Amino acid sequence: MTRDFLLLLPLLIIGAGAILLMLRSAFGKMALETASLVCMCIFGLAFIAQIFTGTVGLVSPFSSVFKGMLMVTDFTRVADLIILACGFFTAMSSRSYFKENKFGTEEYYSLIAFATFGMLLLTLSRELMTAFISLEVMSLSIYILVGFNRRCLTCAEAVLKYLMLGAFTGAFFTMGTALIYGGLNSTRFEVIGGAIAAHGFLQSPALVGGAFFIIFAFLFKVAAFPFHAWVVDVYDGASIPVTGFMATALKTAVFAIFANFLMLDPGLKGSWVTYLFYISILTMFGGNLIAIGQSTIKRMLAASGIVHTGYLLIALVAVSSEHFSGSVILYYLAAYSVSTLGIFAALSYLSGTGETRSQFEDFKGLAKSRPYSAAAITIFLLSMAGIPPTAGFMGKLYVITSAIQAGQVTLAVLGIVSSILSVWYYLRLIIFMYFHEAHESFESECTVFGPACTLILAVAVFAISLYPIAL
Amino acid sequence: MFEHILSSMIFLPIVAGLILLLTPVTKNCARAIGLVISVAVLVLGLKLYAGFIGNGGMEFVEKCTLIPSLGIDYTLGVDGISLLILMTAVVLFPSIFLIFTTKTKGYYGNLLIVQGAMAGAVCAGDLILFYIFWEVMLLPIFFMIGLYGGQGKVPATLKITLYTIAGSLLMLVAIFYLGVAFHNQFGIWSFNIATMAGLKLHGTMAILAFAGFMLAFAIKIPLFPFHTWLPDAYTEGPAAATFVLSAIMAKIGVYAVIRFVIPIFGAEFTRYALVLAYLGVIGMMYCGFAAIAQKDYKRLLAFSSASHMGIIALGLFCLNIQALTGSLFQIVAHATSTGALFLFAGILEERMKTRKISDLGGIASKAPVFAMFFAIAMLASVGLPGTSGFIGEFLIILGAIKFNVVIGVLAGTSLIIGVCYMLWMFQRVFFEKSNERTATFKDLSSAEVLAFLPILILIIVMGIYPQPFIQKIEPAAKIQLSSILHDTQVADINALPKGTNLEK
Repeated sequence: MTRDFLLLLPLLIIGAGAILLMLRSAFGKMALETASLVCMCIFGLAFIAQIFTGTVGLVSPFSSVFKGMLMVTDFTRVADLIILACGFFTAMSSRSYFKENKFGTEEYYSLIAFATFGMLLLTLSRELMTAFISLEVMSLSIYILVGFNRRCLTCAEAVLKYLMLGAFTGAFFTMGTALIYGGLNSTRFEVIGGAIAAHGFLQSPALVGGAFFIIFAFLFKVAAFPFHAWVVDVYDGASIPVTGFMATALKTAVFAIFANFLMLDPGLKGSWVTYLFYISILTMFGGNLIAIGQSTIKRMLAASGIVHTGYLLIALVAVSSEHFSGSVILYYLAAYSVSTLGIFAALSYLSGTGETRSQFEDFKGLAKSRPYSAAAITIFLLSMAGIPPTAGFMGKLYVITSAIQAGQVTLAVLGIVSSILSVWYYLRLIIFMYFHEAHESFESECTVFGPACTLILAVAVFAISLYPIAL
Repeated sequence: MFEHILSSMIFLPIVAGLILLLTPVTKNCARAIGLVISVAVLVLGLKLYAGFIGNGGMEFVEKCTLIPSLGIDYTLGVDGISLLILMTAVVLFPSIFLIFTTKTKGYYGNLLIVQGAMAGAVCAGDLILFYIFWEVMLLPIFFMIGLYGGQGKVPATLKITLYTIAGSLLMLVAIFYLGVAFHNQFGIWSFNIATMAGLKLHGTMAILAFAGFMLAFAIKIPLFPFHTWLPDAYTEGPAAATFVLSAIMAKIGVYAVIRFVIPIFGAEFTRYALVLAYLGVIGMMYCGFAAIAQKDYKRLLAFSSASHMGIIALGLFCLNIQALTGSLFQIVAHATSTGALFLFAGILEERMKTRKISDLGGIASKAPVFAMFFAIAMLASVGLPGTSGFIGEFLIILGAIKFNVVIGVLAGTSLIIGVCYMLWMFQRVFFEKSNERTATFKDLSSAEVLAFLPILILIIVMGIYPQPFIQKIEPAAKIQLSSILHDTQVADINALPKGTNLEK
């Protein structure tokens, strides 16, 4: 039992921290600045705890917790590290954002922590009910975060869209769980996997239907085609740090559980590979088409998030369920998260009060007034476009190589073609920042946190790209 | 530093360039640093040249493992071909810092980065490493054209970047495919070029992978019909960027074909050589005709450069040692002559504030030294006997006739087009009457003369006494060709350069 709790230490720290933050803010005893500091401390502590449980040799690579309800593996450990880092940097950049926009309450940080709690639990769950509960913990917190700025109309629109569609997804997931339980009398992953191995996936209609609903729910959460339509509006409406958090941590968590679910048995994955193949192609090209037409940065980034989902689906198609390590997916997620969070961190202090600077045109001449911020944004964009020597390039290298190795050459080629298309809209922002004259000074009274966060993440882009060398 | 001479030549400029970009140094200081670094690299390059044996193999090899799980190594090395291009770059680079004295620190910083990255691309012995440098060398050019270019800089920047990135990303897939194919055949991961040559590829996938590589290099060279980015980028780019693009970066495309495509895709290369050779000839003629019609001297030079790259590319595709040696020789000749011409054009643009030919005239009487220097570079560019341009073009056309008479004749004829537009342009810019604009033209300063003199001396020396250069080039060329040529046509090549000397 002690071992179980030690394994869940990061989760417990985040959970306790979230409750603490919520109570403190309910009594109004805390300044906004303190809340953000406390939140960062909690994330930092949990991050260290996560590294600690990973390196101390406490456990074998696969350790079940609470009699198989949860499972801590190397895969989930790294996924949790990414999520915790995302939470940390979100808290950090939020501080500058609130200072710049002059709103914000202490509960915000507590909600970030609650969302992270749900995400961590989601990656660990090996049982459908646990997965559903953690999914809802995460989603509920995110709904509130999306609509956090009550005076903003687009926020209200975003939260309504997301809530309605998210509720559908929740219902889909429950439906799938019910069907699987009806067919197999269990919601445990190992039982489902065993049943597929014993009788084959297509033999049980309840199983097929259940898996169908559950995978649809996941595809919705990661914004894959044809469930991608909500992304642009929701990301656009949410406050910048929240968008960054959603785009990275949420995607990491859902992809982790998605991979875990899909790898239950080769039979399940095998029958889904063809569909995932087409879905990933459509996701990449659909995302690109949307992104090319956007004129605001947030919407472009939202659409480019769809494209990156497509790449992650390639990785998912390419991994073999026999020796699943998920390192390709995790590496790509880490590379993607760092660059996306970085650019949102930079936007959180550059976009001005009330996010007045949102169009590409508004960032004309940024390089002249704030050369370092512009350089950092350039690094993030190049990483997203997959230009060496950034982390994005290494991520793409792993994804494409594993796709070719799995015999999916078409997918590899189409993936690269889509990244050629994506270069256009990333370059466009760089061109606006560098090759036009400045019309304003981009002054902001922000704290040091936003720029510091951007700097750390810019360094991390290179650190992550060098990481495979250190291995 | 001398143990890791190639690494120093790559990373010294890159690190210095990054420091320049990230720190607030003054313009003059930035230029001084750039000059010192490029001279230091030149010294290292001369040291390298002196220590080079030239038996056709890789020398100065540096190797360490980067990513063991994928067999990606940090492998560097030079053979005769890479040494040639490396030396061309290091010799030409210091002159930029001598000539352009008034630019900002970003200009000099980007130049240093591009110098290092190009050295890396030329020395890389691992496909992934090569790809990284190949992409990195584009970024400074992107910023230089965009930041310091002319009126239409933004579309020009976009054009060159999207074109090049599209090509190189498709090459990236081909590289990955080769890596996986290698893993499937030999059970180990490797992206090393030397081991890659042992790969047996056939069928559609081999052709597709070949196409992936060829497309990237055809865009970089540029080969017709992938040349449409070139006129805009060369015209709108600042002089130094145009110089780097035309003199060295285009050559790296040629180099990459020799280094990667010929050993790995020998069969496919032989199969499609005729088509590619025709593309080379068509490019020569098309760009030549286009150059005649230009009203802008920089644009004219851009088309002329593209036209001459066509003949260098043609030399590659003729599948014989004369043409290949000629191509390699022409790489240096073209780099010196066209590079110098673009630098002159840059000076002309800076002093006259115009790119229109019709705005100029009578410069020869105002600036005799400038006119003479320009004339030497121009005559080398059109291939006058006694200049470096003649030897290379002669060898290529000889090889082309051996390969296919029609192509040979077409290539020989299209050289005349080059003479037409060049001499006509020279006449309109340097002779005829001077106007109030050109009346104020100042001749080259002594620093500029000093910067150009080595280039011009090289042009003439290479034209009169090409033997030492050909000796360095030939062994490597033979080794590269041996994979696709089973009948060695080596016997007559030794006699050939002497014959050309006698002719003069």
